[in-house]
Amino acid sequence: MKDIKKVLIPNRGEIACRILRSLERMDITSVIVYHAVDADTPAVLMADEKVEIQGVTPVSAYLDVEQIINACKKTGADAVHPGFGFLAENADFARRIEQEGIIFIGPRPEVIEMMGNKVAARTFCIENNFPLAPSVTLTAQDADFIKSVKQIDLPLLIKAAAGGGGKGMQIVNEWKDLETAVQLAREEARRSFGNSEVYAEQYVEKSRHIEVQVVADHHGNIIHLGERECSIQRRFQKIIEESPAPSLAPELRKAICDTAVEITRKAEYRNAGTVEFILAPEGKFYFLEMNTRLQVEHPVTEMVTGVDLVELQICVARGESLPLIQEQVQANGHAIEMRLYAEDPENDFLPATGQLLVYQMPSGKKVRVENGYAKGMMVSSAFDPMLAKLIVHGEDRNAALEQGAKALKDTLILGVTTNTDYLARILSHPSFLAGKVDTDFIPQYAEDLKSPTLNKEERNMLLAATALSSREFVDPAFKVPEPHCFLGNWRN
Amino acid sequence: MKRRIDLLDKSYMVTITGEHGAQQIQVDDDKPSPVALIDKKDGRHKIHLSGKQEDIQMAVKGETAYIHAFGRTFTLGVVDPVEQASQESDSGSNSALAPMPGMVVDVHIAKGDKVTKGQSMIVIESMKILTIITAPRDGEVSIVNFVPGKTFDKNDVLVTLIEKEDA
Repeated sequence: MKDIKKVLIPNRGEIACRILRSLERMDITSVIVYHAVDADTPAVLMADEKVEIQGVTPVSAYLDVEQIINACKKTGADAVHPGFGFLAENADFARRIEQEGIIFIGPRPEVIEMMGNKVAARTFCIENNFPLAPSVTLTAQDADFIKSVKQIDLPLLIKAAAGGGGKGMQIVNEWKDLETAVQLAREEARRSFGNSEVYAEQYVEKSRHIEVQVVADHHGNIIHLGERECSIQRRFQKIIEESPAPSLAPELRKAICDTAVEITRKAEYRNAGTVEFILAPEGKFYFLEMNTRLQVEHPVTEMVTGVDLVELQICVARGESLPLIQEQVQANGHAIEMRLYAEDPENDFLPATGQLLVYQMPSGKKVRVENGYAKGMMVSSAFDPMLAKLIVHGEDRNAALEQGAKALKDTLILGVTTNTDYLARILSHPSFLAGKVDTDFIPQYAEDLKSPTLNKEERNMLLAATALSSREFVDPAFKVPEPHCFLGNWRN
Repeated sequence: MKRRIDLLDKSYMVTITGEHGAQQIQVDDDKPSPVALIDKKDGRHKIHLSGKQEDIQMAVKGETAYIHAFGRTFTLGVVDPVEQASQESDSGSNSALAPMPGMVVDVHIAKGDKVTKGQSMIVIESMKILTIITAPRDGEVSIVNFVPGKTFDKNDVLVTLIEKEDA
């Protein structure tokens, strides 16, 4: 048994805070590495020890393996928890960490490598007869690729072999768009993952995205912690997740969860992971990918099962047996996660930047807030635009929905455009309330989800409030005598 | 005091008259109406307009007001008269502006190139998302302001087209 007394986190924001909380509860010393732009963030303030790392851009600092290994040595950290994003699914990083005699809290590098390359993961599924979406896997060069892709029916998806998080993905509805889509996907894949390999997969319309949380130890024990419904997506990225999945027949739920456990077993996977599936309207399900790390939406599983996934990850990394067996996993009630993004739903969900002038998060017994920001902080284009996650719990789905609406109502972010009100409109949409969700939800109900239109009276109230709080209007210093008006205001 | 205020891609001329406590607002050529704003602290305000009132939440930074009201969040900008004049002289359709801050990834055109409306000119990246900037109209490229790898802010001019001449 290897002991873990000090854990280093090469990550930032809400996920760093979340890992820090479990470490504190388990009485494990924490170390965080951070770039100067994050010096005053909650995660850096929370950690027991901190080490500054440098980079040409803030992101490059968090991807600098050597600096992170040096920080481990300097602080005597005996394990690394990568969180998600950055180096979490980088097999070379996991390998280097282990070579230095430090424990990587996650699966073996070989499994990260296989599941990280979507083409290799698909080959693994084909060899082991796991269900795959109707598709053709092609990795040839452009000319051949485009010719061969035409064997698949439209619409189709161009995906990055090394992909994830919706990056490097392009949907193709008409053949004339294929070439541009392939080019964009390749370029985005190269930039995001350093690998421009792409493949084409048939896009299953009206499908649902269902995933299963699994945890495996080093002694052959594997459990699943139920499924999560993650169909509400924009830009191929989830924004609302829930557990259990609404209106999923018990036999189908069991079949999906059992398949996830079998994939985990066959892959000789260790630690926490997530097996993602596409569920077609007629009830067939297909392997999509396996995420070899903790996921953004893991709290919904924790809310219904009462399990601390970070704690389980650390137990497994220490070499302990899982503290519970499948029969002991009890799902209790319903949980929903809403991701707060700095983005503009009225403008194709483009990321927004600015300063958080007002930043109020909800509180209460039924709401869990995973947040990495604070009032006054700048939201820059340097990082992913997710600000925080609100996770609510209720005894059933309706109760959870009620809590969700309340949590969003209690949230107020001013200074940066966010999707808060947009999430509230999804939560109150009749189809969502009825549990009728699929991955086309957002485009399908685009009209319903638009902001309410502003009438003239409301518009004038906004103009009046702005005018009366503007120094241009109210500050006498700005009252320039008539002859000089055309010069405008002098500013430093 | 009279200023233009931008709201949801439109611009309104707003005039405030009268002393504090007895103020009137005029929007464009509408009739002036009595108005009052009460600060209830922590961003909460009450706005009174023509006998009606509404609770709103507002934060102000520089000349920009961020308001949460009527089930959504609005960004309103008070236009500086100098800035306004320069905006008016620089017709939007002659240039492609950055929709958000980011970095130039690829440039498909060069000075002197003929472009058609919708043609891909520049690929930009913001938060790992690639976006294609297309030509706002048919024309000829006069200035390309950025090379790949350069960063820009929101509303920076990425490409300028030669002014249309009457044929």
